Amino acid sequence: MSTLRTAAISAFALALAASTAAAQPRVVELPGKSPLVTIRLVFTTGAASDPADKPGVASLTAQMLANGGTKTLTFKQITDALYPMAAGINGYSDKEMTTFVGQTHVDNLEKFYAIMRDAVLNPGWRTDDFTRVRDDQVNALRVSLRGNNDEELGKEELYNLIYAGHSYGHEDLGAVSALQKMTVADLQAFYRQHYTQANLIIGIAGGYPAGFAARVKKDFAALPAGPADRFELPQPTAIAHNQATIVEKDTRSVAWSFGFPIDLKRGDPDFAALLVAQSWLGQHRESGGELYNRMREIRGLNYGDYAYIEYFPNGMFQFEPDPNIARHQQIFQIWIRPVEPQNAVFALRLAMYELDKLVKNGISQTDFEKTRSFLSKYVNILTKTKSAELGYAIDSQYYGMPEYNGWLKSALAKLTVDDVNRAVKKYLRADRLQIAGVAKDAAALKAELTGSGATPIHYNSPKPKDITDEDKMVEIWPLGLKPEDVKIVPVATVFE
Amino acid sequence: MRLLRFLIAALLLAGTSYAMAAGKIFPYPYVQEDLPNGLRLITIPTDFPNIVSLYIVVGAGSRNEVEPGKTGYAHLFEHLMFRGTAEYPPEKYNATLKTAGAASNAFTTSDYTAFHTTFSKEDLPIVLSMEADRFQHLDYSEEAFKTETRAVLGEYNKDSADPSEKLYETLRATGFKVHTYSHTTMGFLKDVEAMPESYQYGKDFFSRYYRPEYTTIIVAGDVDPKRVRALVDERWGNWKRGNYTAQIPAEPPQDGPRRAHVDWPSETLPLLFVAWRGPAYSDDTMDTVALDAISRLGFDQNSPLYQKLVVDEQKLDSLGAGPPNNLDPEFFGVNARVKEAKDLKSVEEQIEATARSFADKPVDPKKLEALKEHLRYEFALQLDNSEAIAATVAQYVALRRTPETMNRYYEMSAKLTPADIQRVAKKVLIDKNLDVVTLTPATPSGDAK
Repeated sequence: MSTLRTAAISAFALALAASTAAAQPRVVELPGKSPLVTIRLVFTTGAASDPADKPGVASLTAQMLANGGTKTLTFKQITDALYPMAAGINGYSDKEMTTFVGQTHVDNLEKFYAIMRDAVLNPGWRTDDFTRVRDDQVNALRVSLRGNNDEELGKEELYNLIYAGHSYGHEDLGAVSALQKMTVADLQAFYRQHYTQANLIIGIAGGYPAGFAARVKKDFAALPAGPADRFELPQPTAIAHNQATIVEKDTRSVAWSFGFPIDLKRGDPDFAALLVAQSWLGQHRESGGELYNRMREIRGLNYGDYAYIEYFPNGMFQFEPDPNIARHQQIFQIWIRPVEPQNAVFALRLAMYELDKLVKNGISQTDFEKTRSFLSKYVNILTKTKSAELGYAIDSQYYGMPEYNGWLKSALAKLTVDDVNRAVKKYLRADRLQIAGVAKDAAALKAELTGSGATPIHYNSPKPKDITDEDKMVEIWPLGLKPEDVKIVPVATVFE
Repeated sequence: MRLLRFLIAALLLAGTSYAMAAGKIFPYPYVQEDLPNGLRLITIPTDFPNIVSLYIVVGAGSRNEVEPGKTGYAHLFEHLMFRGTAEYPPEKYNATLKTAGAASNAFTTSDYTAFHTTFSKEDLPIVLSMEADRFQHLDYSEEAFKTETRAVLGEYNKDSADPSEKLYETLRATGFKVHTYSHTTMGFLKDVEAMPESYQYGKDFFSRYYRPEYTTIIVAGDVDPKRVRALVDERWGNWKRGNYTAQIPAEPPQDGPRRAHVDWPSETLPLLFVAWRGPAYSDDTMDTVALDAISRLGFDQNSPLYQKLVVDEQKLDSLGAGPPNNLDPEFFGVNARVKEAKDLKSVEEQIEATARSFADKPVDPKKLEALKEHLRYEFALQLDNSEAIAATVAQYVALRRTPETMNRYYEMSAKLTPADIQRVAKKVLIDKNLDVVTLTPATPSGDAK
């Protein structure tokens, strides 16, 4: 473990050293003929740089800049000015990246850019903007995430469990009690320290005029030169055996997510191989994945079941992930969409059983070829807009890798099924899982999880013998959970 | 200037068989043609390379669910369409899409169901062929039908965590008593739970609506219209026309304001929906464009009410509105998320007063001009890839079966005057048409701000 840890940290430190040396904004340009222009300003800072007593300050600073006034314009004046252009500035912050993205018709580029530039370079820091933006962030945690969205709640909670005690170990949006104590001065301090040229990647795409990119770069030289963020990213605590946390709330069904850290990120030699395995097991929101097929199509357990090797927030609302949420540490995750309580434990067992099959047997030559073909073409869909293409280009710059689309196609072309199955053995496992659930009757669910009895599936129609035979194995599949391994957390305490 | 050059370039590409795009909001020339069986094909070559997006729009949504106890079937059918045929069982269908690297999905609305696939241009023949097969030869067992009803229940369950779904469901049941807009596309829970026993009804639904005269194929992207037409003729030409027309009951005019309330069992902020029963979508009167303008001038981020309640007083964390955009008369609706329940009443009154103000006095012409500029740029900005172009066209095709309705709609919008807005507001935004639904947590957490 200690060898791995050293390797991971030193590799990352090298990447940062290369970027710090420049100490001025890096610029990624994608000129084109489109009359639309996209600007992405990405600062390589985020929740991983939140001070321990101020979780959420990186995110709140980004929201303040994107949704507050500037030194010269109030938020109302900005809203009025942007309205005829149908343009806006969207800000979001993840662990290692904070992004401001705007798109405009080239007719309005100068007017739009002036506002976007000032939003980031000359924020107004007004108290009334701060109160509103902070309220929004508290409500996003308490109401939108915790109250109204069991699936995202479960997925986010899984990350927080896996990274407990780590700089990734709190929600990007922060914690309610810390947000309520935060002041404008906290945001300003964060801004001064982290909104530096060394942290900035400027991305511009579309039909912008010659010389525009150079002008943007010159404008942003007004930011302090450095330093660049240096994230402390130790290996997350090893998971010794299966552990589960059930968030208890009044809801109709049970949402599950489970996973574990993987020592693999985009650009690494095994990334394409593990991507094939992940896509075969559960390509996001597509019907061809193995989990989807075995759980939803054959058994009707729920609305869908998917697998991930990179962070993908808001998956219930999006088919493609947002770019610019790059992370140097990722987890492997399975997302089980809400299941009726009577089938909840069976569904969890079935997903673990399917993962176990993949780990033991790997994938076949035929499945390998189909999945490789899929990914080689699907990457064009991921980058179908100029804005997404630009986002991916910025991520590639950050990861220190070539342009993603071409890199992935080339890596896939060289792969063999043996490479994939070797990567599966190396990175995946079906034990030592961190499990997050959201359920109404947590005590009953815990009793089922830790009891010795079978948890059979309840069908509404007869099933073929091969399926019912398999069900007999699945309903007693070892969960490896003792009562002390299952925690129950009242929903009102999550993210507080 | 750039936009003009862009339009000219698009026109130079256009041959004589294309609908001309000159001066129209939709910048892409397209070919619209009908097969003898009633199937309509719309092909839109775009200037985005390699990718093709296929949208198949079936003119049946939850609006068509006329029998009692059978709500949610248009949506169930969207699911069943992935249950395969003799030639392409689900495994082969999925494997083919996988090899094509296609992104494929579907959705159901009140008025239509859309099946969409986005893929590389070389896979157009196989995708069109496979889609033709499932639209003409769908074949699933009763067991598969029952299993799929469980996935639909799973979808209901995942939506049920969101109180805004319940709010909207209650609004529809409050405002509509006769018309099928009284239920959402998911359907009533009791009907969803009873679906497994309705195998035969499912077959009837397919036989009624999955017919060429109800269907429009939209192909946008790196394509040649002649080639697309030849492929469609070959694989879709023998599809048999049907003869069913749903008798959708007309909702009588509302006779006074109606209210409903929802107690929500878990943590949320109070929600408010203020709606007026409005007209159907129209591209030849000022009704829809005027209500669209009111929804934006009255409730968008730069509106005085938004600035007052969200930015200055900070009593709401969201406010938005939308005009009726449906085949039959629907709601003009305003929704708000309120930080404290004690403000619900005053917020409702201010929303109603804002709506009434459009009837009382004409809007500032300068604000209307700024809005028109916003609408033109908003439209241009959303057409940033072939998938988005096909998706946009599909929404309008569902209403009038031609992209031309977009151009007519924006032509009306360009001519809209303050007097038009006032006239439509006087007709629609009146107490007689009002439906209000509130939702509060049963046990308010007090300081959930």
